[in-house]
Amino acid sequence: MARDAIVAEELTYRYGELTAVDHISFNVAESEILGFLGPNGAGKTTTFKMLTGQLKPKGGQASLLGMDIARNLEKVQGEIGVCFETTNLYEQMSALENLNLFASLFGIRSFDGNALLERVGLGGRGKDRVETYSKGMKQRLMVARAILNKPRLLFLDEPTAGLDPTSSEKIRNIILEERERGATVFLTTHDMLEADKLSDRVAFMNQGKIVALDTPHQLKQQHGKRALKAKVAGDNGALEDREINLDTPETPEAVRKLFSQEKVITIHSEEATLEDIFISLTGRGLV
Amino acid sequence: MNWRIISTLVAKDFSLFFRKKFFAIVTVIGLVFYIVIYFVMPGTVNENLEIGLFAPVTLPAFEEIQEEGLVVQTVDSVDALKEGVIEGKYVAGVSLPADIMEKLSSRQKPTVSLYFTPDVPQEMKDTIALIIREMAFLQTGQPLNIEVTEETLGPDVSGTPIPPRDRLRPLLAIIILAVEMMGLANLLSEEVERGTIHALLVTPMSIKELFIAKGITGTGLAFGQAVLFMLLVRGFGEGPLIILLALLLGAVLFTGVAFLISSVSKDFMSVLAWSIPSFILLLVPSFSILFPGAITNWIKILPSYYLVDTVHRVANFGSGWGDIWLNLLILLGYCLVITWTGIFVLRRRVQ
Repeated sequence: MARDAIVAEELTYRYGELTAVDHISFNVAESEILGFLGPNGAGKTTTFKMLTGQLKPKGGQASLLGMDIARNLEKVQGEIGVCFETTNLYEQMSALENLNLFASLFGIRSFDGNALLERVGLGGRGKDRVETYSKGMKQRLMVARAILNKPRLLFLDEPTAGLDPTSSEKIRNIILEERERGATVFLTTHDMLEADKLSDRVAFMNQGKIVALDTPHQLKQQHGKRALKAKVAGDNGALEDREINLDTPETPEAVRKLFSQEKVITIHSEEATLEDIFISLTGRGLV
Repeated sequence: MNWRIISTLVAKDFSLFFRKKFFAIVTVIGLVFYIVIYFVMPGTVNENLEIGLFAPVTLPAFEEIQEEGLVVQTVDSVDALKEGVIEGKYVAGVSLPADIMEKLSSRQKPTVSLYFTPDVPQEMKDTIALIIREMAFLQTGQPLNIEVTEETLGPDVSGTPIPPRDRLRPLLAIIILAVEMMGLANLLSEEVERGTIHALLVTPMSIKELFIAKGITGTGLAFGQAVLFMLLVRGFGEGPLIILLALLLGAVLFTGVAFLISSVSKDFMSVLAWSIPSFILLLVPSFSILFPGAITNWIKILPSYYLVDTVHRVANFGSGWGDIWLNLLILLGYCLVITWTGIFVLRRRVQ
C-alpha cells in the first residue's frame, strides 16, 4: 500500500476576518496525482501556499513526505518542485541561467540544463533571454524549473491556464512522466477537463472547504446523472430533443417507446462532467 | 547559514544589477562624473581680500592692513578703479579724496567712496567700510580705545582652510551611496512584484539567508563604489580605517533605507518617488559642510549627519578614534534600527 506523500489535518488560514481555508483535511498517496478543483477564491491557492511553505497555517498542520512543514521547512523544500500560476522567472536572464541558478540553490552539482530544456520543448532557445519568450514557452520553462531537482512532490498551480493546445499538451505529458518517475503531483486547476484527464483523484473546494474528494469515476457515479439524449423528427419535420434517464426502473420501457413511437434521427449517451458535479454540489460554476 | 546559497544569490543580484542599463550607466558614468566634479573644484583656498585703491596721497596705514591678508592694489584713476571692480579684479574699490590728510588732521570728516558690484553681500560691504574706518583711526594715530581678545569655540580650524573640493567630498560620497540605494530598492521591489522572490523562497533557503544576500549585495555595491571614489579623490590620507568603517556603516544604513523603500514600492517610478525625498533628506547634512553655519542643529537627528561629519572631520582635520567614536556608535545604532525595520516591513510584504 502506497504511503501518504501529503497529509493535511484541519488546515486553516484566515486573511483578517475572511476564512480562506476552513479546517480542511486530506491525504495524497505517493505517486498519485490529486486535482484540486474550485472556482477563483475557493481557497486553492492559499492551500497551495501553505503546503509549499509560503504561508504559515493559522490552524491545523500539514506534513509532506512524513515531515512536518512547520518544523522541517527547508528540508521539505529540498524535496519539492513548485510551478506558480503567474510567470515569475528572471526575464533578463536566459533560460539556462534561470535553470542553473535554481540548480545551484538546490545544491545540484552536475546539472544538464540543455537536456531539461529539450524535454520541455525549448531545445535551442536556452541562451535566449526569457523576456523574448512567448507565454507558452515561459510556462514550459516554469515547469522545467519545478522539476529540475527531480522532486518527490510536484506542486503545480494552474500550469496550463491561458496556454495554446500544444503547450498545454506538452505540460500534461510532463506531468504524467513525472508521475511515472514516482513523483506525487498536487495540481490546482479550474479546468475540469484537464483534471479529469490527469488526476487519479480530484478534490472539489468551495468557500474554503473540501466538498468532495474521490476519483473522477466515483464522483460521476455518485453525483452524476447518466442519460440518453436523442433528436427525433417532430410532426412538422422539425427536430425535437428527448432525454431518458438511464438509472431508473422505467428506463427499458422508455427506450423501447422511443424507438417504436418516434423517428429517431440521432442518439447518444451522456455522462456527467466534473463541472456538472461541482455545480450540483455547490450550486455554482468553476469559473 | 548556507553560504553557498547566499553567494549564489549575491552573484545573481550583481549580474541583474549590471544588466539594468539605467543603473549600470548611472553607476559607472556617475562615478566618473563625481570624480571629475571633485577635480574641477578649486583645490586651494584664496584667503586674501583684494581691494582696489585710488589714493592721490599715500597712507601708511594701508601697508599695515596688507599684512593682515588684505591685498591692496593701487590704480591711477577712479575710472580704472571702477573698471577693476566691474571686471571682478577687486572685491571693492576704495577712492580716497585728495584732501584726506588735511581733513583728518583738522578733525573734519573726509568722504571716502567705496565701489562694489551688485552681487557683493551686505556683510562684505559692512566689513570693507569697517576696514576703512579702522584705517582712518590708524592714520590719525587714534586707535580705538578697546582691547580685543579672541576665543575659538570648537576645533580651531583657522589655520587649515578647507578647499571647496574637499568640502564637496562627503556630499559626493553620500550621492554614490544613495544611487546604489535606489538600485537595490528597485531590484528588491521588482523581485517582490514579479514574484521571483516566491520562487526563491520555495527552494531550500531560509528568508534569513535571502535578506543576508540582499544586504551583502546592497552594502557591497555601495561600499565598493564609495571606497573607489575616496581612493581616487585621495580621501584616505587621514584615518583611513575610520573612514572605511564610516563608509561601511553608511553603506549598511543606505541598504536598510533601500529595504524600507522597496517594501512600499511597486515599480521603478514608485521607487523613484520614495527615493528622492529620502535622498534629499539624507543629503542635507552634507550641505552643512559646504555652507558652514547655514544649517542648524536639527540635522543631528538625521543618521547621515554622523557619516558626513565623520568623513569630514577625519579626512579634512585629521580627527582620530577618540574624537569620532560617538559618531560611529550613533551611526551603528541608526544602521541597526533602520536595517531591522527595513527587513521587518519587507518581510511582511513578501509573506
